[in-house]
Amino acid sequence: MGINNFRNLTRARGLENAIVTSILLFLYNIIFPIHDSLILSSINEILVYLTIYFLYSYIFPYLESKTDSPLSLVLNAGILGALVFFIVSISNSVFNSFTVSNGNVNVFNTLFSIVITFVFLGALVYIFSTFRELFFLRQKKDPRTYFNTMLVFFSLAFFSNLLIKIDSSFDYPHDAFFVVSIVLISLNSLRVSWIAFLVKRQKLYLLIISTILSILFGFNFGLLTETNTIRELLYTFSPGLYDVFSLVMIYGMIYFGVIFFTTLFHLPTAEAFDRKAEEVTSLMDLTKLITQVFDFKELAGTITNITAKVCNSYSAWLVTKKNNDYELNSVKDIAYIEADKITRLILAGEENELQRVQTIYYDSVTSDIKNVMNGLKSIAVAPLKVHGEISGFLFTARQRDVNFDEDEKKSLQAFADYAAVALENAKLIAESIEKERMEKELDVARDIQRKILPDRVPETEHLKTSALFIPAFEVGGDYYDFFRLDNSRLGFVVADVSGKGISAAFIMAEVKGIFESLSKLLTNPRELLIKVNDILKDSLDRKNFVTVIYGIIDETTGVLTFARAGHTPALLCSKNKIEKLQPSGIGIGLDYSSEFANTLKEMQIVLANEDIIAFYSDGIPEAKNASDEDFGYNRFEKIILENRTKNLDQISNALMKELSLFSKDHSQHDDITLVLFKWISKN
Amino acid sequence: MADFNVSLRGVGPVSVIDVKGYLDAHTAPELENVFNKLLDEKQYRVVVNFNDLKYISSAGLGVFMAYVETMRENKGDIKFSNMTESVYNIFDLLGFPILYEFYKEENEALLKFNEQGKS
Repeated sequence: MGINNFRNLTRARGLENAIVTSILLFLYNIIFPIHDSLILSSINEILVYLTIYFLYSYIFPYLESKTDSPLSLVLNAGILGALVFFIVSISNSVFNSFTVSNGNVNVFNTLFSIVITFVFLGALVYIFSTFRELFFLRQKKDPRTYFNTMLVFFSLAFFSNLLIKIDSSFDYPHDAFFVVSIVLISLNSLRVSWIAFLVKRQKLYLLIISTILSILFGFNFGLLTETNTIRELLYTFSPGLYDVFSLVMIYGMIYFGVIFFTTLFHLPTAEAFDRKAEEVTSLMDLTKLITQVFDFKELAGTITNITAKVCNSYSAWLVTKKNNDYELNSVKDIAYIEADKITRLILAGEENELQRVQTIYYDSVTSDIKNVMNGLKSIAVAPLKVHGEISGFLFTARQRDVNFDEDEKKSLQAFADYAAVALENAKLIAESIEKERMEKELDVARDIQRKILPDRVPETEHLKTSALFIPAFEVGGDYYDFFRLDNSRLGFVVADVSGKGISAAFIMAEVKGIFESLSKLLTNPRELLIKVNDILKDSLDRKNFVTVIYGIIDETTGVLTFARAGHTPALLCSKNKIEKLQPSGIGIGLDYSSEFANTLKEMQIVLANEDIIAFYSDGIPEAKNASDEDFGYNRFEKIILENRTKNLDQISNALMKELSLFSKDHSQHDDITLVLFKWISKN
Repeated sequence: MADFNVSLRGVGPVSVIDVKGYLDAHTAPELENVFNKLLDEKQYRVVVNFNDLKYISSAGLGVFMAYVETMRENKGDIKFSNMTESVYNIFDLLGFPILYEFYKEENEALLKFNEQGKS
């Protein structure tokens, strides 16, 4: 607890502490330039120690933020090492004039020696902090104990100098601590795993730097053991500082030596390591992309770029299968035409054998492939497979005559698999968008149909009417309508426009308009339908047609006149008999010559009391059950006969019930329309 | 659902299209493709053999309407043969027999083309 508090205090107030102790140390040395007594010397050593400790506590957390770029850490330490080297090596020639000797004290010399000492002290702390950062870099287990042990021995070596002050023969503890420190330095220098994570270029750079720095720190240490001004100056100022400084120089020499050899041994595998690392990053990036990119082309571009890089190839391209043909989605460093030619020649006839990665080498191919290879020496191709089905191929090609190794083939297949998944995703998204669009379209079509159909049926004293309409999911083209022509006559139409969805709905709307206007002008159903055929000539596609029954019922006489243009026949239920009324007539839109008029016949019947007549669309007789049988006319007619005494709505409901029972396992794929009339005679 | 098959064979100067299964809005484009191919090859004499056709919807009927005019303009025709009764009823209701030639057997249709070719 106490230690933690103390540590927190030193961390939080690192700078203040460092400044305070520095000033104290400075003032102390101004006041006592020579510490010849043990007390003076001890106080000085403690001040130096505290200054180093607080400065170190302040600097190393600051360096922790730089651990992303170990090389710049190394470089910074190197620059300081070089500075030390510079000062030491020029000191002999330049500072000879101010020979510092015991007893010769002046203010200038004192100041000068303090400044130099502070420079060395700063360099020491910074370099050592750098080593600390490098030591902890990329360590999986916590190696703090090893490092702290070393620090303890550094401290012991620092203070054991005081023992020599007491008795100059009492030097073996100091030597022992010093040697143990060097042993610990050697052990700790082996923690250099961070080198493995450098890319090849960085490793080469580090190799050069570490050679220089190892030698530099070696020189620094060597120079300081010889007799020279700086050594004198430092040793006189604080023997402990001098010792620790020497230790740090030794640390630098050993550490950079170890780095040099480690890097040297790492170099041959550097490229493979880089590639693996790149592959892992690329795959991670791709995984992210796949969920974000909706545009497959864009993703294909990324895939070919990465493939070429990771497989050490010159070019790469990606093709997808589309309607038994190949479509180039993206190319990297190869012309579209070239890639296309190579693709076709390689895949010709062999597509089904390409279940896994295949390689093609220039020397083993036919001459027509050689002709298009155009400088490429080896090609590898992987299938894009989803659910066992091949949806395309990923190619990569080299200009060098070097075989693809197993690792490269594996990464190629990995990228192909990713492409396959992405392609599948893109397809599913496109499908769901299309589906949504179609559903919107169907909504519009249903809306049109709902507005076109009448919302009530005419009802008079003699004529009962009922209309049933059930739209199909896809919207068929059924249309029915009633027109009040005058007081005694009612016109009606039941029609079926071929086609489905919005196009059928638009024709339906047009048909409604035509009937609404023509029914007022022409009182003859046959003439009216001939006119309709003429008018629709311009708006119907060749492959579209409309089947219609148009009729007029006279409500005073019960006379029904109608004509049929290709439509399902009317059903007349009279007493207990039912019959089909099918006057001749071809569908509207089938023929625009006189043939239409020539073959169109009109029918006229006089309705008897309680007669029921049914007009309907082919959705009723052609309704299907699970085994694809038609509902047919027999069932239809039977229902009408059995229910003929009931009211019309009940007949409709009975039919509906039967129909839904019949086709319960089969979706309704056409509109169902049923218009029923019942004639009630006077009296 | 899309249980439909269409195949094309040549009998002398006449092309015979065999249709099989269910011809509806979803399968009609397959038949259209065959007709487009015939137009590309300037083959205007066509017999459609309905022997194995189980069902035809209005979209299926529309295919013949779309191409018959071009065939006839080029002294050809589309003739139908081997229809089952249920399929024929659909054509009949619409009035197709007034505008198109229907034959019980494919041979009769081919023979008709040969006669027309001579005259």
